[in-house]
Order: sequence, then C-alpha cells, then structure tokens
Amino acid sequence: MHPMKYATAVCGLGITDMGRVYRSAQELAIEAVHLALTDAGLDKSDLDGLLINSGVTPTIDLQLHQALGLQHLSVLTYMQGYGSSAGQMIEYAAMAVHNGLADNVCCVFADSPLQENKRTGAAYSNRKGRNPITALMGLYGFAGANAMYALGAQRHMDLFGTTQEQFGQVAISQREWAGMNERATKREPLDMDAYHASPWVVEPFHVLDCCLVSNGGVAVIVTTAERARDLKQPPAYLRGFAQGHNHDTGASNVDPLIRGPGEKIAAKALAMADAKISDVTQCQLYDCYTYTVLETLEDYGFCQKGEGGPFVEDGKLGPGGSLPTNTGGGSLSSYYMWGMTPVSEGIIQARGQGGERQAPNDLVLVTGNGGILNYQAALLLSPESV
Amino acid sequence: MNDQTGWIQPTEATMPFFEGAKQGVLRLQSCDDCSMWMYPIKKRCQACGSNELSWKDASGKGAVYAHARLHRQYHARHKDKLPIVIAWVDLEEGVRVPGNIVHSDAETIKAGMPVEVTFEIEPGGWAIPVFRIVD
Repeated sequence: MHPMKYATAVCGLGITDMGRVYRSAQELAIEAVHLALTDAGLDKSDLDGLLINSGVTPTIDLQLHQALGLQHLSVLTYMQGYGSSAGQMIEYAAMAVHNGLADNVCCVFADSPLQENKRTGAAYSNRKGRNPITALMGLYGFAGANAMYALGAQRHMDLFGTTQEQFGQVAISQREWAGMNERATKREPLDMDAYHASPWVVEPFHVLDCCLVSNGGVAVIVTTAERARDLKQPPAYLRGFAQGHNHDTGASNVDPLIRGPGEKIAAKALAMADAKISDVTQCQLYDCYTYTVLETLEDYGFCQKGEGGPFVEDGKLGPGGSLPTNTGGGSLSSYYMWGMTPVSEGIIQARGQGGERQAPNDLVLVTGNGGILNYQAALLLSPESV
Repeated sequence: MNDQTGWIQPTEATMPFFEGAKQGVLRLQSCDDCSMWMYPIKKRCQACGSNELSWKDASGKGAVYAHARLHRQYHARHKDKLPIVIAWVDLEEGVRVPGNIVHSDAETIKAGMPVEVTFEIEPGGWAIPVFRIVD
C-alpha cells in the first residue's frame, strides 16, 4: 500500500460569501481561515502551517500570516500554480503533516477581482507590458483565456465532430446542480434555447460556456487521518493525489489544446489510491469553461479522446445521472474560486454534507488546472479510510 | 481593454520581425545549432539551450491548428471588423504562430486547412502578418 493512501484528511473547510462581495482579498482570506477553524473545531493556536495562494493579481501574499496573527508556524509559503494551486496546496500540506513537519496546515485562496461599478469583463483585462511581438496577440484578438480555450473547443469540434449542444449540456447539467446549492450565484433553470441565446464571447463559447468571476475566499485545513478522526467533522480522507505540468513548447508537434497532463495524473493518483477510474463515483472537475470538463473527462479516462461530446450529451453529469459532476454547480454556476471551487464541493460531498444534492461519494475525483490545460493537480477523496 | 496607445511599437530586439513584415516576409528566429524555429522572440533556444539565434525568412506556409471567432471588440483594431477569426497556424518550419485568418468565410474554416501568410498595414505604417486559406 502506498504510504500516503488514507494517511491524511481534510478536517476543516471555510467558505466566505461569494460573488459581488466588495471586500479585500485579505479580509476574505482571514474570514475563510477562521471559518475553517470553527468548522474543524480547532483553535487558531492549533494552526502550525499556512499555504497561501492568490489570484492572477497578487491580492494576498505571505504577509497574510501576520494579518492572521499566526505565531510559531512550522510551514509557511506563498504558492502559485494558477487553477492547480488549490489541489497542490492540499498535496503539499498532506506531505507536511504526514512527515511531521506540521500538525494542522491551512491552505487558503482568496481573490477580489470584481470591483464596484465595473463590468465583470473588466476583472482580468489589465495585463500588459509585453514585448511588441507578444503584444500582437491583443491586436489579433486573442482575448485572454476565453480565446485560448475557445480555440481548443473549436479544434475539438473540427477533429471529433463535437457539437455546440454537447458543450451546452455541460452548462445545463451543472445549472441543475446549482439549483440545489444555496451558495450558488446562478440558480435559475437553464435550457438549451437559453444557452443558444446567450451572447458569443469567442465563438464557439457563449457567455454561458465561461465560468463566473467571483470575489471570495476558501480555506481548507489538512491534518493526519488519526487526528482528523478526533475532530468535529467527518474526515474527508486523501486516498490518492498527483500533479502534472505540461510545457507548451510552441512547436507544431504537440497538441496542448486537446490533451493535457490528465492521463498521467490519473494513473499516478489511482495507483496511490489503489483504485480504477471506474471506481470514481462522482467528479468535481475544474470548469473554467464547458470544454474543460469534456476534455478532462477524456484525459482522465472516463471515455476515449474525442468522445467527450457524446459522453456528456445524455445528461449523465447532472442530477440522477450516472457520473454526478460538479454537484455544486461548478465555476460555471456556483462561484469561481479557481481550484477551490471543485475542492470545496469535493470536501462537502466526501463528508456526506451535500444535502439534497448529495451524490454517491465512495470515491470523489477533484481536479484543478491552470494555464491553458498546462498545470494540473488531482485529489481522490473518500469518506472511509479502509 | 488593453492599452492601445502605440498600436505597434517595435523595439530594437524585435525590429527584424517588423521590418520583415513591412517587406512582406514572415521573419522569425531560428536556432543556428539545432535549427528549431521560435516565436515570439527568445534569448535562448527552448529546445537545445543555445543562444546562437538568427532571424530567418520563414515560408509563410502552413496549416490551421486551431481557430475561433472573436465577437466582442478587444482592441481598437477590431472596430468594424467583428467577428474576427483568430487562429494558431502550424508553419512548415514546425513552429506554431498566432494570427488572423482573413478573406475567408469563417463558417467554412477547419483545423488542418492549408494557409499562407499575407500582411495587413496598420496605422503608423507598420504591417502585421495574418493568414489566408489557400484553395
């Protein structure tokens, strides 16, 4: 048995209000940490590890530990792996507590890209200072991540015949879940007509193919399985985990928009968990876009490369479906906290605290990715440790 | 919206690219040691690590790797041009470069279609490489 299998668990989860919450990321981070401590039944003095991750603009940093008044930390760092950061932090925290570097490590993400009286679209469009050839990307119309993933989605359509309706079904299935999540920003029902009527951003993406932009904070406390059993919440055991990071060389012999590092990550995480992909009973997948969900299902081996469209079109990802996925509504409908969106819902589900939206939780796959499918981390969570 | 003051402002390091475009040539860096082509601009070869890089004229021929259609103005250049086709193009030289696909019915473009470079003159007299589908 892999020494990390079931060795550690998530014992605390803190989720602040989400959406147009006009507070600084630091305030949101502090609140999330306190919520996670209360949730776990731990005192601030019990925390001896802190891992910090902020959004694209560094709205929180290493100084957070001072603002939190945390003394005598054994583990402390600021990390950045974009959307894979949440999973990465939990993995490093698990390794730290398992190896005795610390007892209780808190992993926190917070961001506040939304500003009062500014459009949502203005949130992430402040990057500049590039060399004049790179700057041509803006002249051409490569509108950030929206454009990059849209290019991938259209290539998928060109190569495999994936349809607009199949992307739409991902958004619809997740919205059905969001209707059962009181924290979700968008809860009103969505049908295919409304999906098609949603304005284009970068075609083939409608607005409804793209994740929300949210202010908020999420904190997760990781400890050993043994300690977690004595705390307030049912432990969400870490049964397996892995990371993978692909470098897009810019050469034409790689296909980075169609294939991420997921296949290798799945093999490693499942080996640690001593499980097969078919043992996964529900997924919490990073869904910056509808296409990302479909692409991730392929990379992780739920279906063959190119078959993601037909795989999702029967609504199997939605309530009552055979592969419940993004059961809180995901980043498309609930809130966008980078990798903390799938992580937070994965913990809720692994604890069996999903209420009306609770899905079979024997083995919960949580993924996160950053860049354009480049940087990824996955967790396999379980409510049992045998 | 990006900063659009100074639409194209070549620097000394990038001047060969923009001088080439003005002359109707797609000029890119390539590695003297392993002959890998590069985009946008590098100090060292990403493949072999050499810092012996030279500007060379690329064929300008290739195929569509991926394309999508921008429907919202992202830059002043897009005014009255929307929707605009953005694309990654795989050049015969083995490097992937970004651009627009122009003079084509956007609905008919597919990954793998052959393209060749053409140039659009921008305010200030500089040109930028774009692509058109080759029949």
